Amino acid sequence: MLRKEQNDLLTRTGPGTPMGQMFRLSWQPALLAEELPENECPPVRVKLLGERLLAWRDTQGRYALTDEFCAHRGVSLWFGRNELNGLRCPYHGWKYDHTGQCTEVPSEPSESGFCQKIKLKSYPLVERGGVLWTYMGPPEKQPPLPEWEFALVPASHSFMSKRLQESNWLQAMEGGIDSSHVSFLHSGELNSDPLFKGSKGNAYNMADMKPVFEVVESPGGLYIGARRNAENGNYYWRVTQYVMPAFTMIPPRADHPVHGHFWVPIDDENCWAWSFDYKVTRPLSEKERKAMEAGQGIHVSYVPSTYIPAANKTNDYLVDRKAQKEGRTYSGVFGIAMQDASLQESMGPIVDRTKENLVSTDNGIIMARHRLLRALKAMEKGDTPPGIVAEHQHVRSAAVVLPPDKHFKDAAKEALVVQTGKEHVTV
Amino acid sequence: MQSESARMSSAAEARYRIDAPNSKPRSVKVIALDHPSERVIKDLAQRKWNNASFFTASAFGGTPKQGESFAGWLSDLAGRTKNLIEEVNGADLVVMVAAAGESAQAASIIGEACSVKRVMTTALVLGGQSISDEALSKTLSHLRPWALMLVIASAEEYIADMLTALRA
Repeated sequence: MLRKEQNDLLTRTGPGTPMGQMFRLSWQPALLAEELPENECPPVRVKLLGERLLAWRDTQGRYALTDEFCAHRGVSLWFGRNELNGLRCPYHGWKYDHTGQCTEVPSEPSESGFCQKIKLKSYPLVERGGVLWTYMGPPEKQPPLPEWEFALVPASHSFMSKRLQESNWLQAMEGGIDSSHVSFLHSGELNSDPLFKGSKGNAYNMADMKPVFEVVESPGGLYIGARRNAENGNYYWRVTQYVMPAFTMIPPRADHPVHGHFWVPIDDENCWAWSFDYKVTRPLSEKERKAMEAGQGIHVSYVPSTYIPAANKTNDYLVDRKAQKEGRTYSGVFGIAMQDASLQESMGPIVDRTKENLVSTDNGIIMARHRLLRALKAMEKGDTPPGIVAEHQHVRSAAVVLPPDKHFKDAAKEALVVQTGKEHVTV
Repeated sequence: MQSESARMSSAAEARYRIDAPNSKPRSVKVIALDHPSERVIKDLAQRKWNNASFFTASAFGGTPKQGESFAGWLSDLAGRTKNLIEEVNGADLVVMVAAAGESAQAASIIGEACSVKRVMTTALVLGGQSISDEALSKTLSHLRPWALMLVIASAEEYIADMLTALRA
């Protein structure tokens, strides 16, 4: 459990909140590059960390992320005309450039310089790895661009999707580090999903339903090791990475692409679940890419022309009680992502953590909260929160078989950091 | 018409959640395995807890010799010998606390008692960041066979946070 004030502290991310400040100090995925496919394309509404913004791309291809509303009368610039290096409000013709600077106020004499006095709030927006990233913190603290491995491999080697999740970011993120639910909730998928099946690790997973967990602090967050029995007295370890505030990486299975998530607050009651898959040394196969596009693995299929999952709360997640009874899915909901999301959304927009009854195997979650709270306290004193420097981003998850006397953090030390030109260590 | 899931997961519906206790207090026994962790436990014991009690096994070694009783093997913080089996018997969770690099040999005797009584065990290693991998591995090798959950924490404050999270 958390005290109410702690829960509020961790779940509120709007402007001026401590947790919001932590998010604002690092680059966050704002939208997919495919959402702004060409110069002068239609603008896209973006809500992030409780701020209504507009993403657009000008005549020269420069990305912009500006206040959504015109400074004149508060009209949404989503209706704006994207023309000649600027976005023009269709109401009275005020025009803004990609930095939010007003460049024309037609009703005022151009010699007056009035437009120079008008500037919309704007944030940098840069493309990396098929994602448009933004930094919403103070300019003087802007860190170098993100160095997550998936964003640095060739485009042919990776796949990124996003989906709307109608819950606070923290309950979504906590699902990403809750390794003990996999053997239950996702048990149907381990042997059927094309992006999971066929791994020897799956057999270990299903043969030992009571894994033993080890939670170890890492420089950027946590390693969460789940230990299961393997042959000859050895242990099968699955090591999940958590990097503060909202990056999680699932341990790989066989030669399948490795996957992970960012859990980015839209506002306090909604978040974007960003899901990536990648390989280091080879392009994704056509079959893999098609499966991802079809919503398999950790991805979803969508309501057409949206990033809203096709199975969602408005249709009871298409729950299939017959499939549940027959064991084809454990919960009756199909697909790993929506199995998680359906349960996390059912908790309510912001779960009341004063009522929960955590158990010992929830120590990964307890430690993540502890580290976030500790980082917030340190931030008050001027410290930089973890997760911002490149070293904290050069991480990998791993799946390894180790002798019983070996500690995964040492024995798999190399496997837990990026090894240029080498694939993830996996079973 | 709005689906039931959409309606029931709204913030408005959260107001109708039953506001009654949904658990009984758990009995958590926290045991320091060495002198450095005994100091931490003593500080912790000063705070207010629901149903946590604090002990030390720092005066004891590893497995008891042939024919030696398991009855002692535990002291409360005032130094009175306690019956390990009795304490474990009444526990929902036993938390063993060890300082990284110290011998955690007493874990085997406590862990065995918990195993016999089917009591959940958690081991917490403090200060794992400040010592060599080898020294840490030595501590872990004593704990791992007996801990169903193992945490290596850099901050002593984590124990308090963990116990609070577990409603101890």
